[in-house]
Amino acid sequence: MISLKPGSIFLISAIFRVGLILYGEWQDAHMEVRYTDVDYLVFSDAASLMASGQSPYKRTTYRYSPLLAFLLIPNSFIAGSWGKFLFSASDLFVGLFIRIILKQRKVPDHICTYSMLIWLFNPFTFTIGTRGNCEPIVCAVILWIIICLINGNVVQAACWYGLIVHFRIYPIIYALPIVLFLDPRFFQSGVKPLLCDWTSDQGKIRQINSQVTNQFDAWIAFKSIFTRSRILFGLISGSVFLLCTGFFFQLYGWEFLHEALLYHLTRTDPRHNFSIYFYHIYLNYERDLSVLEKLISFLPQFIVQLVLVFCFAKDLVFCFFVQTVAFVAFNKVITAQYFVWFFCLLPLILPWTNMKFKWQGLCCILLWMGAQTHWLLWGYMLEFKGKNVFLQLWMASLLFLAANTFILILLIRHHNYAPVFRQHTGLKTKQKKCE
Amino acid sequence: MSTRKCCRLCLNQKLVILWMFFSGAIVSSSEVETNRPSDSRNSDDWKYILRSYFDRYENLHDSSFEHFMAHELSSSLCQVTPENRNRGVRLSVRELSLVGEGSHRQLSLSIGLQTGAESIPELPSHVCEVIIIQRLPLGVFADPFELQSLQKRMGFRNMAVFGDTNLELPSFRSNRSAVEVHIDAGSDILFMQNRGMEINIQLPLHARYQPLDESGYSIIEIGEPDMLMRCSMEGKQHKQSCLFMSPDDNAKSRISTVEWKIPAGKNAHAGFVSVVTFITASLSTVSIVYASMFWSGTQNMKQP
Repeated sequence: MISLKPGSIFLISAIFRVGLILYGEWQDAHMEVRYTDVDYLVFSDAASLMASGQSPYKRTTYRYSPLLAFLLIPNSFIAGSWGKFLFSASDLFVGLFIRIILKQRKVPDHICTYSMLIWLFNPFTFTIGTRGNCEPIVCAVILWIIICLINGNVVQAACWYGLIVHFRIYPIIYALPIVLFLDPRFFQSGVKPLLCDWTSDQGKIRQINSQVTNQFDAWIAFKSIFTRSRILFGLISGSVFLLCTGFFFQLYGWEFLHEALLYHLTRTDPRHNFSIYFYHIYLNYERDLSVLEKLISFLPQFIVQLVLVFCFAKDLVFCFFVQTVAFVAFNKVITAQYFVWFFCLLPLILPWTNMKFKWQGLCCILLWMGAQTHWLLWGYMLEFKGKNVFLQLWMASLLFLAANTFILILLIRHHNYAPVFRQHTGLKTKQKKCE
Repeated sequence: MSTRKCCRLCLNQKLVILWMFFSGAIVSSSEVETNRPSDSRNSDDWKYILRSYFDRYENLHDSSFEHFMAHELSSSLCQVTPENRNRGVRLSVRELSLVGEGSHRQLSLSIGLQTGAESIPELPSHVCEVIIIQRLPLGVFADPFELQSLQKRMGFRNMAVFGDTNLELPSFRSNRSAVEVHIDAGSDILFMQNRGMEINIQLPLHARYQPLDESGYSIIEIGEPDMLMRCSMEGKQHKQSCLFMSPDDNAKSRISTVEWKIPAGKNAHAGFVSVVTFITASLSTVSIVYASMFWSGTQNMKQP
């Protein structure tokens, strides 16, 4: 069992990240293959354009909110690696927030530590921030929103939610589960909601089919959708989103709207990526796809999202996790940076899983990495060896979807569904019931 | 005083002349040497030949570009009198090859610069630069930001891409582009006889996604670059001639191209791929929906 103190873990993580950033600077200066993500150069260029009073969208392929360029303005006058330090700091905050969330739900210390380590020492996550990718900021804000919600702080959660949806579109998928989550039975005016704590009986709890109960809960939720906290959340988050969007539209016009928002909503990239749709899009790119074809390709995503939300909304963190995995898996474009969207939520659901690391957990990891590696091999043959392996690469993407689906189903199967809140009761009892 | 007024007029003349490329006088003065912020944007515009081309034409086509080089630039060229055939410099392509594999390769160019058998001592002191224009075919592009760092690494005077610089579009949705490179050829080169210089450039290029092809590949050809030399005369206030260098006289019959074979999708796959993609997506959807509805447990077991 690991007996490291959280402070030590954070210190080691921070030192490690600083070291990686410094190494990255050295590699960029001395080797042909750069350590820094090409996106970081795009952010930096956009930031220096903004610093000189110009539109960040003069930088081609800058498709983010001007907020990101604003955050990186110090790149121009403090140090070029300012942004990397900012992203890595966000990375550390994600680790901190993981601990806060789990401690609030009375998860034992050693499990909290393992969960933090899964994030802080995951090779994928520590390289992503140190290479200059901005996703850790999004992850940190999502987790902070969860903290706000579990503390009953709806207003703050709404503000951050509106901001993060403006920053990165994908968290919009969390809107419906949050609204369902703001159940009036738990969110009462002036009263902090009661959390359902983790118990050591998790592993022994048999999951039962509560399809009827869930459907009933969902129906009640739907009928009572217009509650104070829900309306408040919707209004505040919507206002913050519109305020930010309106402000930047005033500054940068249609170019901002198109590059930062509309592009992401309509993006279909024919170039190879992990998505099963890439080859279909490429083969049909010369002719425009019909509305029906576009609708059909959107249908799986829509159905899966809806079902996951109505089945798991009460267990908000798990709902976020499965939604994100499915969203990424069914998206028309999948790049490796999207994986961090659910990596930050994985440590939060593991304390509630029946799946043992040996050997089911390990097999899932190997299956996921194996499917990815298989795709990467064909991708390498296409891109770096110039072989026509489009069909094989597409089949590899089908396998990757199959692997993601299988692992998702296993995680659902082995998850101990645990609503975050319990109802306030008039009776004082030591036995905590989370029904 | 009258000299100063004259300098100012010559400066304005120089801006006009340099804008027209190689036409008439390039008069230098201390004012010209300093970079005035208000001039910097204009100076960026005129130094590139391709800027002038794209100001006139919307897209890059071989026929219009060759017409531009032969006719629209000729009025800007300095006169080369028959007796000067043995003078000046000659630029030739010594090597043109494609290095690397896959979608990211380097176009290796080796350019030879040779001064004539006779020097031209009557010219004033001058500084020259070789201008190389590499027209890229549809299906291939150069990353402007990559070229920026290449310029810094290699110490080229200037380097830029013109035309369609969108990095993401497939070739059937994009237009052609061209790269212009300016390399310092040194000072007073026209005073030297039979002096040779070799310029080596490795231009990083990237393949776009190609139109569908039954063979599964698309073959694109990259031809030789166009080359010129521009000289800036210093010190005099009267009109001086610049030299326009064309490829070797005996190169007219030698048209060198390199071929790049790029993978392309096959039309025959279209129906099958679409059907299987949607079936797979549907199967995954059904599996997840079933699992969610069957295993979304809620109550904990009540312990005895």
